[in-house]
Amino acid sequence: MIKIEKLKKIYKDVTVLDIPQLTIPKSECFGLVGNNGAGKTTFFRIILDMVRATEGQVLIDDEDVSKTEQWKSKVGAYLDEHMLLPYLTPDEYFDALKKIYSLSNQDLEVHLDKFKELFNDEILGKKKYIRDLSKGNSKKVGIAAAMLGHPEAVLLDEPFENLDPSSQIRLKKLILEEKATNMVTFLISSHDLNHVTEICDRIVLLEKGLAIKDLQEKTTMSSELNAYFNVF
Amino acid sequence: MIKTFIQLELLKRLRSTSFARSLAIGIFLAFLGLLVLAYLLLMGLALNYLISEFFSPADNTVFLNSYLVFFFLFEIIYRYFIQQLPVFSLEHFLHLPVAKSGIIHYLLVSSFISPLTILPLLLFGPFAIMEIAEVYGSVSAGVWLGSVLLTSWTIHWVMLWFKQRFEDSFVVILVIFCLLLLGSGSTYLGWLDIGAFFEPIFTFALESAVPVVLLSMVMVLSYFLCFAFYRQNAYLEKLSEEDQFALNSTNFGILSKFGLAGEMASLEWKLILRHKKSRTYLTICLFFLLYGLIFYTNPMYQTVDGIANIYIFVGIFVTGIFILQYGQLFLSWNSSMFDFFIFQRKGLEALVKGKYLLFMGISLACFLLSLPYVFFGWEVLWVHLATFLFNLGITIHLVIYFALWKPKPMDLNKGAIFNYEGVGIAQFLMIIPILGIPYLIYLPISILVSDYAGLLALALLGLGGLIAFPKLSDISVKKVLRNRYEISSSFRQEL
Repeated sequence: MIKIEKLKKIYKDVTVLDIPQLTIPKSECFGLVGNNGAGKTTFFRIILDMVRATEGQVLIDDEDVSKTEQWKSKVGAYLDEHMLLPYLTPDEYFDALKKIYSLSNQDLEVHLDKFKELFNDEILGKKKYIRDLSKGNSKKVGIAAAMLGHPEAVLLDEPFENLDPSSQIRLKKLILEEKATNMVTFLISSHDLNHVTEICDRIVLLEKGLAIKDLQEKTTMSSELNAYFNVF
Repeated sequence: MIKTFIQLELLKRLRSTSFARSLAIGIFLAFLGLLVLAYLLLMGLALNYLISEFFSPADNTVFLNSYLVFFFLFEIIYRYFIQQLPVFSLEHFLHLPVAKSGIIHYLLVSSFISPLTILPLLLFGPFAIMEIAEVYGSVSAGVWLGSVLLTSWTIHWVMLWFKQRFEDSFVVILVIFCLLLLGSGSTYLGWLDIGAFFEPIFTFALESAVPVVLLSMVMVLSYFLCFAFYRQNAYLEKLSEEDQFALNSTNFGILSKFGLAGEMASLEWKLILRHKKSRTYLTICLFFLLYGLIFYTNPMYQTVDGIANIYIFVGIFVTGIFILQYGQLFLSWNSSMFDFFIFQRKGLEALVKGKYLLFMGISLACFLLSLPYVFFGWEVLWVHLATFLFNLGITIHLVIYFALWKPKPMDLNKGAIFNYEGVGIAQFLMIIPILGIPYLIYLPISILVSDYAGLLALALLGLGGLIAFPKLSDISVKKVLRNRYEISSSFRQEL
C-alpha cells in the first residue's frame, strides 16, 4: 500500500528524518512511536505531501505522492486542528467534505452512524462552531473526517491524546472494526504504548529521524518498548 | 468545487469575530474605491482635452504613447503597495482530494477581480473612443486599448509572483523606484528618452494586431509563471529560509529604565525584528522617509512665504508612518500570545504602555532621520517638528483607540505561501480619516492667522497630549482591561 524509498528530510544541516526503506502492506495497522521531536509528524506530513522530502520518495499504490494527486481520494488523515475548518459547525464541515468527496447524503449518514457512540451526542446537531469545541471533541470531528469517503489508508497523529478514557476505548474498537470489515490500513502515531501495542500489528520506533526498531511480534512488542522507554 | 470555496470563504468572513470591523473597513474601502474610480474616469474623459490644451502635440495618440511607459512604471509601484496577495488556508485542504492546481487557479483568478484590473480601462478607454477611433478607426482603437490592458494585466500576474517570491523585499522595490527616477530623470535631461524608446510598441498597435497577439501571449505566459510558482510551493513549509540576522538582535539598554513597560517594549522590538510581516512595516518607514523628496523638490508646492498645505500631510507621514501602520494592528501582533500577557501580573497594562513607548521611540528616530530635509528650507524642519509632536501627543492615542475596536487575530508564525498577508490597500486607506484631524486644526488657524500659528497650534496640542500622556494612555489601558475576556476569546478561537 505505502512504500517509502530512501526518504530523507534535512532542515539546514540537521537530518530530521532518514528512512531508507519501509513498506506498509494493505490492512496493516502500523504504529509509530518515539520521543518528542523524533520525526513522527514530519514523517506523516511527507507521506501526505504537505512537506517536501529532501531526498527519496513516498509511493502510495506505486504513485509518487509528490507527482500526482490521485492517491488523495484513497487516503484520509487527521494530524492537527489545522486540517479542520474552524468557522464551520461539525455538521457543516461534514457537509462540505461530502461535496468534496462527492458522496451522497446517505453515504454520509451511514458513515456518521458509525461514530454515533464516539460522538456521544456532543458533536452533531449542535449549534457550535468547531473553533468552540473542546480539544477532545474537535479531535473526534477530525477522526471522523479522516475516515470519510472510504479511504484505503488512514493516518492519525496522536488519536488518543485529549480523549476521555471511554472515548479512547470506543476509538480503538472503531479502528479494529474498520480494519476488519473494510481492510483499511491505519498509520497511527502515539505516546500511549498500551493502546498502540493493543491495536497495531507492527510498531516502528523512531529516534532522531531513524527507524531504530521494527517490531512485528505482538508478544514481545510491549516488553521491548517498555525497555526502550524505561518504564518499569 | 469553486462554488464550495466561495461559500466557505463567505462563511469564514461572516463568522469571524472581527466581522463588524472588517465590514466597516470594507464599506469604507468600497466607497473610497468608487470615488477614486469615478475620478479616474473623469480624468480619462478629460485626457484628450488636457493633452491638446497643454501640450498641443502634432498627434495626441503618439504623444500619449511616448508617455505610457511611465504610467506602467508607476503602475508597478502602486500595485506593489496596493495589490493584495491571495490569502488562503492551504492547510485545511491539502489532505483532501482537491487538486492543488484547482485551488491555485481559483486563487489567482479571484485575485484578478479587483478595481485595479479595470483602472487602465477607465483611464484610457475614453481616450481610445474619443481620439483614436476618430483618427485611426475603431479597430485600431480596440487593438490599442487591448494592448494597454494586456500590459497592465501582465503586470498584475508578475506582481503576484514578485510579491510572493520576494515577500515584500524592500531592496527590490527600491531598485524599481530608482529605475523610475533614473528613467524619468534621463528623459527630463534628454540623455535617453525611455518614453520614446517604448513608444513604437503602442504606435504599432494602431496599425497592426501583432502587438496585441504578442502581448496576450506574454500575459498568458506571465499567468503560468505565477501559477507554476504557486503550484510548486503549495506546501506547509516556509517559502524561504528565515534569515539569521534577526536572531542576534540587540537590546536597547535605555528601555530597561522604563520598568516593566520598557521590558515589554524590548520584547515587542524582538517580535518586530523576528517576523517578516512586522519587519516590512519597519522598512516602509524608511521608504516613507524618502517620501518628502517628492513634495519638497516639487516647484508646484514652493511658496514665497508660508507653508504649502500638503507639507502637513508629508510631515505626519514621515514622522508617524510607523504609528499609523503598525499601530492599526495594535493587539493583533500579540494575538497568538495574548494569554501570556493576561496571565502576567500587570501584564496587559505593561503591554499597552510598552507599545506606546516603542511607537514614540521609532517616531523619534524617524524625526531625527528626517532632519536633513532642512536642506529644503527651515520651514520643513518646523513642519516636521510640529507634526512629530502632534503624532506623539494626539495621533498615537487616536490610532490605538480605533485599533482596539474588535481587534483581528493574526498568526505571525504562518510562514507558508498564501498565508502571507503583506502590505495592501487596507493598511493605507485606514489612515485617511486620522490624517484629516491635523488639517481640521491647522487649516482654520493658518487661514485666519498665519501658517506658523497653525504649526504652533499643532505643536502645542501635541505637547498638551504629551503632558496628559498618563491620563490618555490610561484610557487605552482601561479599554483593553475592560474587554480582555472578549479579546482573548476571539484570539483563541480564530488562530
